[in-house]
This record gives sequence, structure tokens and C-alpha cells, in this order.
Amino acid sequence: MKHSERIIHGITASAGVAVGRAVRAVDPLFISLNFKISAAQASQEVARLRKSIERSRKQLRRIQAELKRRRNPESSFLVDAHLLILEDPLFVGRIIDKIQTELINAEWAIQQVSDELFEAYDRLQDDYLRERRGDLEDIVRRILHNLRSRPAPAQKLPYDAIIVGRVIPPSMLFELRSSRIAGLVTETGSPMSHTAIMARSLEIPAVMGVASVSDIASGEAIIVDAGRGLVVCSPSEKTLEQYRGRAAERIRARPRPSAIASTPCTTQDGVRISLGANINFGEEAAAASTLGVEFIGLYRTEFDFFRDGREADEAKLLADYTRVLKSARNIPVTFRTIDVGIDQKSWDGVNSNLGVRGLRFCLENQDVFKAQLRALFRASARGQVRILLPFVSTVDDLEAAHEIIDEVRRDLARSREAHDPHVPIGVMIETPAAAQTCDLMADRVDFFCLGTNDLIQYYLVIDRSDQSVVHLHTPFHPAILRCLHQVYTLLEPTGKPVTVCGEVAADPPSAAVLLGLGFRALSVSLAAYRRIEHAIRLMEIGRLRELTGEILKMHKPKDVEEKVRAAIAAGAASL
Amino acid sequence: MTERQVVVGHRLGVHARAAARLVQLSSQYQSSIVLCRCDPEADLQADARSILSILLLAARQGSTLVVRANGVDENEAVERICEYLRG
Repeated sequence: MKHSERIIHGITASAGVAVGRAVRAVDPLFISLNFKISAAQASQEVARLRKSIERSRKQLRRIQAELKRRRNPESSFLVDAHLLILEDPLFVGRIIDKIQTELINAEWAIQQVSDELFEAYDRLQDDYLRERRGDLEDIVRRILHNLRSRPAPAQKLPYDAIIVGRVIPPSMLFELRSSRIAGLVTETGSPMSHTAIMARSLEIPAVMGVASVSDIASGEAIIVDAGRGLVVCSPSEKTLEQYRGRAAERIRARPRPSAIASTPCTTQDGVRISLGANINFGEEAAAASTLGVEFIGLYRTEFDFFRDGREADEAKLLADYTRVLKSARNIPVTFRTIDVGIDQKSWDGVNSNLGVRGLRFCLENQDVFKAQLRALFRASARGQVRILLPFVSTVDDLEAAHEIIDEVRRDLARSREAHDPHVPIGVMIETPAAAQTCDLMADRVDFFCLGTNDLIQYYLVIDRSDQSVVHLHTPFHPAILRCLHQVYTLLEPTGKPVTVCGEVAADPPSAAVLLGLGFRALSVSLAAYRRIEHAIRLMEIGRLRELTGEILKMHKPKDVEEKVRAAIAAGAASL
Repeated sequence: MTERQVVVGHRLGVHARAAARLVQLSSQYQSSIVLCRCDPEADLQADARSILSILLLAARQGSTLVVRANGVDENEAVERICEYLRG
């Protein structure tokens, strides 16, 4: 169903603007069967409760470890509070007592005890403390959930998910893997709720207190303009353009450390590091050039390509790409050809990570691929274009891509279309196969881009969208260190440049490891650019090389990470 | 048994973070510890090891609480907890 643009008002809980799609969270209901048990069953019932509490404790500890790793103290103390509720005699003790004396099942006992506590909270005069009821609700929900013999499977979210729900408990934010939530809209809650505090600390734009979330359809395009306390549903193309522009504006307006602007990025011991930016929308190109970014290391073209279900229209793409190059003000832009699976042209589903994606998709949908390539080559007459092929896993695929590229180039020459025939062609190293054989591909390409997010996912067999394993996704696993080391060693003699893109490059400790391994070009998100630039200027390659030598001998991811973090902290303190 | 009065010094009163810290602190002692809030608005008692009961005291900055402990390490417990509550 097609909706028309409408605006819903609420209150600002965490400022910022998010553009994405609504994902409706099912209201957490406390539905449970209440029944009497026999005296003989009581100890069994208590054991079942204890097991559920233990399971809850483990989940919270895992969340806490993850938050500590990401240095998010504000949120990690909230988890502390939840853990303490699990140990609270007033709560757990009374539930057990009720099971044993009233001979009722655990769910019923939990309900009775929590209802009494909820009432006590609701009677409080203090607004801030009344909001703490939310923590108790959250814990109750978790215990009830874990009491079920088969807990629901892990949640998966699309990239631009804006969570919309009547109630959003704070723990949902860290469980849905905070970095993936674009925004938040709720009916209940206030700026003082823990969900709001979490949202602010994770920089997730949030609007609370809207009249009715049932007005927002699941999957509907929405904009959260949290600063103004409003939500725009099914925005018109014009409204969307305005907001995308504003998102770019915001990045541009961020204060920059004044002394370091516009001088080349070098380490303490004078080693020059090329620093680029990754962008997802053409509008961000202008912000990148204003930031003084040297090059755009990765423009993920699929977001714009499928923005409004658009078919491959060469003229429209050419206009888009020309505009991107113009706003990038002549810095090189690396256009990664579309990377999606065949069945999901709008990023509305979960990616089939092991199926048809990246170059595989392009080779199977040559009309789409050719239209994009033609637009890119024609745009190359007006700016510095580099073309990057995603998800390459064999030399065969690479050769097949080259055949199509050659054909496009020939056609353009024949019809005398202006273009640069020497546009550099690069390969994304993001599959284990490409990591192992990049040297065999080197003759056939001009540059490489190391995509660490996917590489780690495939190497460690971890689905990044699966919250039950995502904490295992780490660049500090010895397998990843060896892999990165190997890629560098294989490529070094070929002389082909390689840029590292991905979260590994954006986090100072892992970026330090990359530099220690020998990489000299990184490309990071606009949001991370200044931070990483600043961090690199404080690093010393000589020391990082030593550090890397040591960690390559270590056995466990945790040990590696601790070692690196300690070294970075010590280095920063000495400066 | 040892008891002492203390005026809450934390800006937000005994809020979630402070309550959590208080439970962690109290758990280090063997003595049983209770916090009492007795003023014209309320007459409440909380187990210092129960975060929920501490929050339900709704003690604000400037509220007067009585810390009462009973056990082998009661003196130290009362001392440390008062020190923490004073902020």
C-alpha cells in the first residue's frame, strides 16, 4: 500500500536525524499460563526459575563484556543495575517464597511479585525514579522469556532499521546490536528513561511519546527528526532530499581539531598515511571533501542505485555520478559496483551472504552491470573515477568482469562518448578465496581494497547480523591477523596499492595493527574520520611494528586485544 | 548494632547508578545492613543488598537516611556506606 507523507509529533529523547525504514517491535506482553502446582513439584519449579535466572545472567554478562569492549560506560552501568536486580532478595527471594508457599508456577509468582513492585514504583513522586520501573519490566520480560523451553531465535535487522514500538525496553537496544539501529520511535518513555539514556549514549536519534505507533506501517519509509521531536512517514522525494542534505550538513558542521586540518596525515615518526572516507550516499561526497578527505575509498553505490526501486537507467546514473564527482571536488572517488543479492533490490531483507551477491550478481545481471559501467566510464570524463568490483572470489569471475568492461569501453569509443579509457579497476578482497589468491589477481587489476567486515565474517564463520555470535566478530583473532599479514605479504611485491576499508580501519587499536602490519592507506566512515586521523598522528610506526611482531605470536583473541589496547593507552599517555 | 544518620549528597539522590554502587558496597560486608528513611513524607526501610528496595526509598539530595548494620564488621560497613552516601 502506498502511503502519503504525514508527520507525527513526539518529544526529543535523543537528538539527530535518521532516514530509514520502520521495523515494528512487537509489544512485549506478559502472557503466561497461571496454574497451581503440587508440593512435590515446588522444588522443580524453583529449579526452573533458577535456570532461567542463570541464563539471563549469562546473557547480560555477555552484553556487558561487549559494551565494555566498546568503551560505553554509561550503558554498561545500566547492565550492572539489571544484574543486581537478578540477585535482589526482595525480588528473587520473594518469587521463590511465593512458589513454595502458595504452590504456584514460576510465571505466576513472577507476575505477582513484579506487579506489587510496579505499583510501588508508580506511587513514587520522583519522575526520574518512576522511570526505573522500566528496568524491572525489562528484567521480568527477560526471565519470562528464558523460562520458555525454546527461546525465540536471534533477531535480524536490515541496515537502516528504525525501531518503532509502543514500548522499547533498554536492553532491546543493546541486543539488537546498537550500531545497526538507525533510529527509535516509541509511545511510552521519556527523555529520562533508560532507553533514552542508552539511545543518547549510542547516538541513536530517538523520538518518544508519539500518540500512536500503530499509524506507522512495518517497512514504511520514515524519517526521525529527533531534534524537532517529529517523525515523517512516507516522505516525498523532496523531503527526503532535504533530510539527506541535512545529514551531510551535520557531519560538515562538526567541530574539527583546528591545528590538524589540511596538513597531510603522518605518524609521530613521519610515515605518511593516506586517509580516505567511505560513503553510502552521493550527498556525503560534499561533506567528505569539506572534511579535507584525500580520497573516497569506498562509495557503496547500491543504496543510491535502488533508492526508489529504480531500474538501471544509464542517463540517471550518469547524472548522479557526475554530481557526486562534482561535489567531491576532484578528489578520486572509488565507486564499488552494486553489491546485493538478486532477490533484494531494496535492502529490505537479510542478505544471502553465501549466495548470489557482489560480482556474482553483476555477472548474472549483465544489463544492470553494463548500465552502471557505462555511466561510470562516461562520468570519468568529468572527474577521477575508480571502479571497484565487490565479492570477487576467482580469477575466472575477474576475467569475466574484464570482458564486460572491455566491451563497454569499446562501445563507448565506437560511439565517441567522452570517457577515460584508463579508469583504474580494483578488486575488493573480502572473501577468504580472494585473501588467499590476491597475488594471482594482481596482474589483472590496478588496485585492491581490503573489506575487513565481510572478510572477518567469512573467515571466522560469524554472521554479523546474528546477535548471539556477533561478539565473536573480532579483528584480533589470530586467524585474522595472519590473514591480514598474508595479504600484505602477497601484495607487497606486486606493487599494487591496497586500501583497507571497514570497521577495523575505523577503530584506533585495530587501525594501529593495520599500520604495524605495513598497510599505509585506510578508508573510514565520515563519522570516524577525524577521530582516526587524530589517533594516527599520535602513533609511531616503529613501535607498532614491534607490537605487531609480538601479537602475531599470541594464541588468543582476548590476549591480543588486551595487549594492543594496553599499548595504545600507554602510547597515548606518554604523549 | 551500629547506626548513624547521613544526609544524601548525590546530585540526583540515590539514583540507579548510586543504588547499584551501594549494593556492591554493602555486599562486601557480612553484617546485615538496612537503610531507613524517616521524614514527614515517608517512613521506609530498605535492605542495602536489594537494589529495588533502595530505589523505592526515593531518597533525594538532602534527604536524611539512617544506616543501620548488625554483624562482625558493622562499624566499618556503616562508616563506608555513610561516606559513600555523603557523595
